[in-house]
Amino acid sequence: MIESKPPGGLPGIENKPSAAGTRVDASPAVEKSWNTVRNPDVPRFLALFIFVLLGAGISSLAFPASPPIGRGVLPGGLLGFLAWLFYDGWQARRLLDWLGRLQKSSAALAATPLPARLPHFWREIAERMERLLRQQQRALQKQRLLTENLVDALQASPNGVIMLDAARGIEWMNLSASRHFGLDERHDVGQAITHLIRDPVFVACLASRDFANSINSIVLTSPCSNAHRPLRLSLRLCPYGADRLLLLSQDITQIEQAEAMRRDFIANVSHELRTPLTVLAGFVETLQTLPLGEDQRQDYLARMERHALRMQTLVADLLVLSRLEDSPPPGLAPWTPAHTLLAACAAEARALSELLARETKTKTHRLHFPETHGLGEIAGNAQELQSAFINLVGNAIRHTPPGSRVDVLWQNNADGSATFAVRDDGPGIAPEHLPRITERFYRVDSGLSRESGGTGLGLSIVKHVLQRHGATLDIDSAPGQGACFSATFPAARVRAQAALPPGAGPREA
Amino acid sequence: MSEKHLSSQFDSDLNNISSQLMEMGGLVETQIQRAIQALARFSVALAEEVMHAEDRVDVMEIAIDHALTSVIARRQPAARDLRLLLAISKITTNLERVGDEANKIARMVKSIVEHGEARKMPIGDLRLASDLAAGLIRRALDAFARLDVNAAVTILKEDDMIDCEFKGFTRKLITYMMEDPRTISDSLDLLFLAKAIERIGDHAKNIAEFIIYIVKGTDVRHSSLPQIESALQN
Repeated sequence: MIESKPPGGLPGIENKPSAAGTRVDASPAVEKSWNTVRNPDVPRFLALFIFVLLGAGISSLAFPASPPIGRGVLPGGLLGFLAWLFYDGWQARRLLDWLGRLQKSSAALAATPLPARLPHFWREIAERMERLLRQQQRALQKQRLLTENLVDALQASPNGVIMLDAARGIEWMNLSASRHFGLDERHDVGQAITHLIRDPVFVACLASRDFANSINSIVLTSPCSNAHRPLRLSLRLCPYGADRLLLLSQDITQIEQAEAMRRDFIANVSHELRTPLTVLAGFVETLQTLPLGEDQRQDYLARMERHALRMQTLVADLLVLSRLEDSPPPGLAPWTPAHTLLAACAAEARALSELLARETKTKTHRLHFPETHGLGEIAGNAQELQSAFINLVGNAIRHTPPGSRVDVLWQNNADGSATFAVRDDGPGIAPEHLPRITERFYRVDSGLSRESGGTGLGLSIVKHVLQRHGATLDIDSAPGQGACFSATFPAARVRAQAALPPGAGPREA
Repeated sequence: MSEKHLSSQFDSDLNNISSQLMEMGGLVETQIQRAIQALARFSVALAEEVMHAEDRVDVMEIAIDHALTSVIARRQPAARDLRLLLAISKITTNLERVGDEANKIARMVKSIVEHGEARKMPIGDLRLASDLAAGLIRRALDAFARLDVNAAVTILKEDDMIDCEFKGFTRKLITYMMEDPRTISDSLDLLFLAKAIERIGDHAKNIAEFIIYIVKGTDVRHSSLPQIESALQN
């Protein structure tokens, strides 16, 4: 009768296997190295033994009349066994439910705790499973982290990366690649690459399968390139894995532009040098072959001198530019008073203005320089700065009609920086020239500036000098409104002048 | 010979034809780009390159038509597959015409350079229209690769921009001709050039219409934009 209600008897008996379980719990060292754990079958069969023994005992106590080994004990033991079977199956069921919950919420191993008070054998199974799952999850996490890092690294690359499968479909691409080719990084996955990058050279290279030898990369214009924003790409195909391909693209627009600029520069230098040379050669030939009067001879020689001088200044300017490019930037010393720079600049500007006026038999320019001392001091290479200032003032004189007003200003700004500015009331510069005006040999009006003795390198030199001194060059001009070139030096290179009487005493070296 | 094998073979046939069409598209795109560059730089060398490559476009057209015939004969496709094959056939014809227009531009550039007069004419205005046309063809082919109806509708809308440019350019040429009758022959050359560019835009529009036909099954040729949009919403 008692055996017919096993759930009632369970709690009391259950203590024994769970006691065995707590014993294992108490020794975590055993639990850690679970290969060496004691045979978990022992407590299980111990429980079976106890069940059978209890069943037999209870039944023999309930029916003391019957003989000890006979009808009372045997069915009692059998019932005990059945109760154990039921109990054991129930525990297995709990474990199975736990597994079911885990499957449903696959990621949340921590959120689904083990069923409480499992007997030792089933607990062992559950714990081993849990440990296995945890291990795998950790490995997976690691793998995922690594993959994420790899993807992030590929995304960070300024070069385009496209992974192609065996059928040349897009498997994955990074942001740069989608920008380079105008692709949609999500929707274009799976598309055949030749459907979207249709350049015949690229398609032929892909079809040839000769990737190992294609050291020479393919250069093509990006599909999203336009007149305003040209985009030239250099592509490389690298095979990897099982018939897979990596398509790498690099933006070479700037490299090509730099190359074009270098070519232009060489062409311009040659052209600038050839013109005076042709003239010189012509005069030399004339002098050699034709009998000339003394006046004519002198005239020709004077012209030859002028052209020789022009070549000389050009070569000198080129040397200055190359020196500016090669030498290290000037340090924060020595300090030079701004007014000495301006005074030297004023003297040279007046001389230039008078020279031009004499040559063209017109008025000189109206030049205005700040006369005050104590404008502060400026750190850097005084020679370079002076040549930059003189270039700016010289430009203002050369490119404005005779009699124009040229103002040279020096201003100490509130934030500690200082601005050197040259303002004229000449014809001004059209906006389309402004971005390119500091390029070498760029001329707004080629005939005019060559006449007035410019080499076409002045502003390039100015820009280089100012860059080396951390200064910025701003050009503010509109046609008919005059022009204002201002160079602003950073606060670190400017300081108030030491309190010395004007023009007296040695300056700090 | 299972059903699946047959259909996957069919799939690969269709893919093959699409790839061929795309290859032809790429070739035609390059032709346009080269022709535009020849125009911008007055380069006879580039113009001649375009004229030489014309044959390759023709050869590809014939190859695609042949492949189409054999697939239709063997597979007897229906529904979307049939629409796809029919559309490819028509797109091929359109692309071949675009190639012809590029060739025409190249020939015109060559004759302009050889006469050496048209440099004073407003050729810069053609740059914008030709870039627009090349962009339309590129996007039409992209839309075909992705079977993207939205992109196709955008192309239909933007073709009008090229038409506007063409009209503006024509008016400008008329003023040139009225000012100085000596520019008439050059102006006519330029007019043909502009017409070729305008035609490229029209072909891009046709391709876009076939994309809508493939995906939606509605023939939107010769209908206005509002009609097309309402047809697409149904």
